[in-house]
Amino acid sequence: MELAKAAGADDVWAVAQQSRNVQFAFRDGSLETVKDNTSRVLAIQIYAGDRYSSSQTTDLNPSRLAQFIREAVATARALEPDPFRKITPPNLFAERSKVDLDLVDPAVGELTRERRLSWCGSLDAAVRNHKQMISATSRVSDGTSWSAWASSNGFEHTRETTSIWLSASLTLRDRGDKRVSGGFGAGGQHVATLPPTDEIAQMALDFAHARLGSDKGPTTTTTMVVDARVAGQLVGRRLLAAARASQIQQGRSFWSDLLGKPAFSPVLTIVDNPLIPRGLASRHYDNEGISSKVLPIIEEGVVRNIYVDTYYGRKTKMAPTTGSSSNVTVKLWSKSLQDLVSDAGTGIYVTGWLGGNADTTTGDFSFGLQGHLIEGGKIGAPVSEMNVTGNLKDLFNKLALVGNDPYPYARTITPSLLFSDVVFSGA
Amino acid sequence: MATNRRIFLSNAAAGTALLTMPAFLSGCGVDLATSVGTATPANPFLEWFGVDEALLARVMSELTANGADTAELYFQHTRTTNLRMEDSLVNRANTNIQQGVGLRVVVGDQTGYAFSEDLTLPSMLAAARTAATIAKSGKVTAPQSFNPLGAGDLYTIRVPWTEVGIDQKLPLLRQVDKLARSSDPSIKKVSVGWMDSDDRVLIATLDGQLIVDHRPMTRLSALVTASRNGASQSGSANIAARNDFDWYTTERMTEMVKLAVARTMIQFDAVRPPAGEMPVILAAGPSGILLHEAIGHGMEADFNRKGRSIYSDMMGKKVAEPFVTVVDQGTLAGNRGALNYDDEGNACGRTVMVEDGILRSYLHDTISARQYDVPVTGSGRRQSYKFEPMPRMTCTFMEDGPHTKDEIIAAVEHGIIAETYTNGQVRIGEGDYTFYVKNGWLIEKGKVTAPIRDVNIIGNGPESLRRITMVANDAYMDTGGWTCGKNGQSVPVSLGMPSVLVSKMTVGGQNVS
Repeated sequence: MELAKAAGADDVWAVAQQSRNVQFAFRDGSLETVKDNTSRVLAIQIYAGDRYSSSQTTDLNPSRLAQFIREAVATARALEPDPFRKITPPNLFAERSKVDLDLVDPAVGELTRERRLSWCGSLDAAVRNHKQMISATSRVSDGTSWSAWASSNGFEHTRETTSIWLSASLTLRDRGDKRVSGGFGAGGQHVATLPPTDEIAQMALDFAHARLGSDKGPTTTTTMVVDARVAGQLVGRRLLAAARASQIQQGRSFWSDLLGKPAFSPVLTIVDNPLIPRGLASRHYDNEGISSKVLPIIEEGVVRNIYVDTYYGRKTKMAPTTGSSSNVTVKLWSKSLQDLVSDAGTGIYVTGWLGGNADTTTGDFSFGLQGHLIEGGKIGAPVSEMNVTGNLKDLFNKLALVGNDPYPYARTITPSLLFSDVVFSGA
Repeated sequence: MATNRRIFLSNAAAGTALLTMPAFLSGCGVDLATSVGTATPANPFLEWFGVDEALLARVMSELTANGADTAELYFQHTRTTNLRMEDSLVNRANTNIQQGVGLRVVVGDQTGYAFSEDLTLPSMLAAARTAATIAKSGKVTAPQSFNPLGAGDLYTIRVPWTEVGIDQKLPLLRQVDKLARSSDPSIKKVSVGWMDSDDRVLIATLDGQLIVDHRPMTRLSALVTASRNGASQSGSANIAARNDFDWYTTERMTEMVKLAVARTMIQFDAVRPPAGEMPVILAAGPSGILLHEAIGHGMEADFNRKGRSIYSDMMGKKVAEPFVTVVDQGTLAGNRGALNYDDEGNACGRTVMVEDGILRSYLHDTISARQYDVPVTGSGRRQSYKFEPMPRMTCTFMEDGPHTKDEIIAAVEHGIIAETYTNGQVRIGEGDYTFYVKNGWLIEKGKVTAPIRDVNIIGNGPESLRRITMVANDAYMDTGGWTCGKNGQSVPVSLGMPSVLVSKMTVGGQNVS
C-alpha cells in the first residue's frame, strides 16, 4: 500500500493469497495422477483521483513489485474519471459478525500421501463393482487457502479455509457403442464429515446405473420434478443471474421492476446466507469487504432484495447489499422427493442438465436435460435427448411444490422442486 | 465441485472471466520486468525467465530421477489486459501477470505434476521432487543441453501487446461504442469489452528439445440492449484472433457492431419455433459448434484410450456420408485456436478426424499416441503452467461439400436454419450434445420465413453425423472468441463450417396449443 501511495494512488485495496492444492486420482485399479501445487497471487485495486484500475500478479519477486504497482497506478491515471468508483466506505465494514464459521480443519494440512492413496484405493475398489464397467476414476482433492486483506482506509483481515473432496466417476457400457456415465462427490472443509468411501462409490454407481437403456423422451407439456442435486443450477445459476444491480443498470435484467412485488410462486423463499458454519460459500465479508449479512432474496414469492455491489449501488441509487452470492438456500417444505413424484402422477423427473442458456434480459430459457419418465406416480424409464423451454419468471410462478431433501454439496442448497405445465421437446 | 467436470464451449462476452495482466503504457518510461522484443531472443531462458540451461538440466534430472517416458518443463509468462466500457466510460481496467513453471513427468499413463511460481532453483527442485513421486523406480538419462527448434510463424506480431499503451486502445473502444449507439434510436445501452494478451511459452523436453512460442491473443466484443414499447432485447457479437493491434481495422469493427445490432433488433420479432424433431440447417461459419460437440470431444484420445467415448470402437468405420470430412488443424494462421507448437512441445498440424465419411484419427497427446502406437497430432494443450496437458481441439472445421446453400434451404419442408450460437455441451459416453441457438429462422416449404430465437438443440453425435444429408460449398472459419472447457481447464479454440442439413434434430421450441 505504501508503494501504491508513493506512486500516486489515493486509496488502495490489496489482497495477498496463497493456496495449496493436492490431487490424487486412481483409474481402474492403479494410481493415475499425483498433483501437488502451491500458488500465490497479489491483487490490488487502485483508486487515484476518481480513476480506478485493478491488477493481479503471481510474480512476487520483490524487485519487480514496485514496478507492478507503479504500472497499476499509471493505468488508472490514464482513464477518464468515474465518479461512481470509490473504495469501500468504512461504514460497510465497521461491524462484522463474530460467528465462528468453522472453515478450517488442521487435519487437512496433516494429510499424508498414504492416507490419500488409501482413500483412492478404497473408492476405486468399491466403485468398480458393475458387470458393465468400462472405466472408473476415483479422486481425492484437498487444499488449504490463506489470504490477507488490507486497505488504505482501515480494512484489515485474514481468511483461511481448508477443503477436502472425494469423488468417483464411472462409465458403463450401454447398448451398441453407447456408454452411460455418472458420478458423485462429497466434501467440505472437514475430514471428519466425509461420508464413507463405500457410500460415495454406491451413489456414483447408482447414478450411472440408472441411465442404462435410456431412450429419447417425448415432446409434451407436463409436470417437471427437478432433483435436488441439479435444482441448484436452476435457482442459483439461472434464476438469480439477473437479480443484480449491475444487470438492471445495464438494462439487461427481467428482474428490473420486481423489487417489492409478488413476482414468483408463494412457495418460493430464497435466502442468501454467508454465515452458515461450514457452508461451502461462507465468509465474514465479501470481495469488497462488506460485512456479511443474511440476505432474504425472495420471501414467499415476494422479491425482497437483489445483489447490489457498491459501484452499481451508486449508479442505481440502491443501498449496497453484496455484489456476489454466497450460500443460496431455498426454504424447505415437508414433502419428500417420492411425495413430489407421486403428486405429479405423470411427468418428467430431471436428474441432469446438458447445456442450454437463458437470456437475462427477457428470462427466456432453453436447456438440454436427461432424466426419467414419471408414470403412475413413480419414477420410470430413463430418458434423454430432451430440452425444456420457457421463461424463468413464468417457470418460477409455476413452482407448485418444494421438497424437504436439500442437497448439501453445493453453494446453492435446494431441495427437489415440482413445476406445472412445463414444455418439453423430444422425439 | 469435485464431480463437476463438465465439457463445454462458450462464446460469453468478455468481461466475465478475469485473467488479466498489467498493461505497459507507452511513453511512461517504465522498464518491463521481463523484457520482450519483437523477435525471440537468442537466449529466451535468460531473457524471459531469468534462468539458465544448466539450471534446467538439474531440474529435469530431479524430475525424472525415478524414471520417465515423457517429461517437460513448461515455463510461461502471460500478461493479459481486460477493459470494459459501459455508459461510454471505461469502468474496468484489469491487468494480470501469471508467471510460473509446470513440471510434468509421465510413466506409462501415470502423471506426476507440480508447478512453481518462484523460479529459483530450490523451489523448482522441490516441485520436481513432488511430481517425481508418481514414479517408483527407473532410470532415464536426462538431457544436459536443449536444442532449440525453429520458431513458428502462425501469428502476426508487429508490435507485441506489452508495448501497446492503453492510450492506443481507448479510441477503439470509443469508436465501437459510438458506432453501436448511433445504429438505432432504440439502443439504450452498449457495453464494449476488450482483451489482449502476450503469452510467452518455453518448453524444455526430456528428449532435449527446446520449444519457444510467443503467442498473442486479442478479442473485442459489443453487447447491445435496445428498448421498444416497454420491451427490451439484448444481443452481442465478438471477434478474436492471434494478431496484433493493427488487426482492428475500421471495417472489421464496423462489421462486428452491425452484427451485434442486427442480432438485437431481430429479436423483437423473433419467436420460438415448434418443439420436437425436425430438419435443421446449420448456416456456415460458427455452426462448427456442431462438430466441436458432436464429434470433436468424443475424438479426444484420452477418452478413447479409457474406452469412455461413444467413438471408442468406431475407428475405421463409416460414420457419415462420403462428402463429409472433418478436420482439426492447429496451423490455420492467425486463428484464435492456432498454435505453432502444442503445450507438450509437439508441432501442430492437420488431423483428419473423419475422411470422406470414415473415422480416421483421434486427437492424440503423447500418452495416447504411445498407447495407440501412432504419431502425436500436436493436440496436447493446457490452460496454463498450472495444469497438465491433455488432448484438446484447436481449429475444428468441415470441408466444403457438393451442394449449395440455396439447394439446402429449398430441400426443407418444415424446419429451421440456425445462425447464431452462444454455447454448447456434450456427454461423450452417451454421445448426447447440445448447442444453444440465439438467432435463426423458420423454414417452411423450402423458404426462409420468420425469425426464431433462444432454443436449445439436442442431438446424439454419431446419429447427427449420419444424418448430415447435404453439405454446401461455402465453408469459412468463424472469427468469434470461442473458449472450450474440459475437466476444469479452458483453452481458446476456433470453429468453421459450410452450410449443412441435418435431417433430424430435437429442437427445444414451444408448441402453441
